[in-house]
Amino acid sequence: MHSRELPRFPVLIALILCLAIYPLPARSSTSQENNSNQDQNKAADTGKPAPGDQAKVSVSNIKSAPTDEGQLATVNNAKIPSYSKVYVGPIAGGFENYIIAGLRNKKVPLTVVIDRSKADYEISGVSDSEKAGWAKMLFIGSQQSNEQASIKISDLKTGAVIFGYSVHKTNSVRGKQSAGEACAKHIKQIVLE
Amino acid sequence: MSFKRNVVSILALLVVAAVSTALATEKNAPPSQKIPKGAKVFVAPIEGGYDTYLKEAIAKKKVPVEVVASRDQADYEITGTSESQKASTAKKVILGNWHSREEASITVSNIKSSEVVWAYSVHKEASAHGQRSSAEACAKHLKEAIENQ
Repeated sequence: MHSRELPRFPVLIALILCLAIYPLPARSSTSQENNSNQDQNKAADTGKPAPGDQAKVSVSNIKSAPTDEGQLATVNNAKIPSYSKVYVGPIAGGFENYIIAGLRNKKVPLTVVIDRSKADYEISGVSDSEKAGWAKMLFIGSQQSNEQASIKISDLKTGAVIFGYSVHKTNSVRGKQSAGEACAKHIKQIVLE
Repeated sequence: MSFKRNVVSILALLVVAAVSTALATEKNAPPSQKIPKGAKVFVAPIEGGYDTYLKEAIAKKKVPVEVVASRDQADYEITGTSESQKASTAKKVILGNWHSREEASITVSNIKSSEVVWAYSVHKEASAHGQRSSAEACAKHLKEAIENQ
């Protein structure tokens, strides 16, 4: 009797071990994904492409870098000379006004003009605003909106897009103003002072 | 003769370099960005009749500018956008807040040079007096900008 019951223990132990180990491959695959993302980011930051992505990088000159709340892309490390004349094209919802106010608030050394023919660069983009619904107010107790916007800067002489940035803010404290200021803050990074 | 020619050519090169440098500097010179006191300002129509609130606020806050009815008479133009959202039933019931949500952004530009000289954006999650409050915030900051130059 005793000898018949003995094999149960190894089976039980194996079962428990299986259950305990089962989530590990999933975790390890997630961490691998994270690592690969980090590697890609590192490659993007350093300008050295990962071995597998050499072909892709050689085709495109866009250098991307993740930021705290958005995604930034510059082409060939392009820079804008300070006090260049910039025209901000109309954006749905009047978002261009928020960008101009953001440029002033963040003290970006650019001259904004309202006449496109007098400008060296043009800022264009899209924006979207989602107001807080009743469910958000009830369950989260937040009445703040979700904001997202994406802008690009193009050189009007060459027609080349030299900079791109997209921002997404969940529970934006100051609504469109916050998104406009985020855009301005990142534009400042490519302006030569 | 050849020495004189060399000197003349070097001088000519130096003049050309100086002129090109000056032109480049002039091109990227920082704008003056000043709104003089008593400047004639035209407030362009803004959706939702916000320009009316803005004109009233400019008068109420005693902003040192002269508001004109025609763009041709003006030195500066105020353009912008505004958005007003009345308190929803959920906001009233759940958050106990009856006040509206106001958002506005204005830009003051020099009509002659086409340069934007001042800009401001305001956001009020629960505005006590609706669009009036946001317009007065814009006017208050415009006054500060003119007086603190």
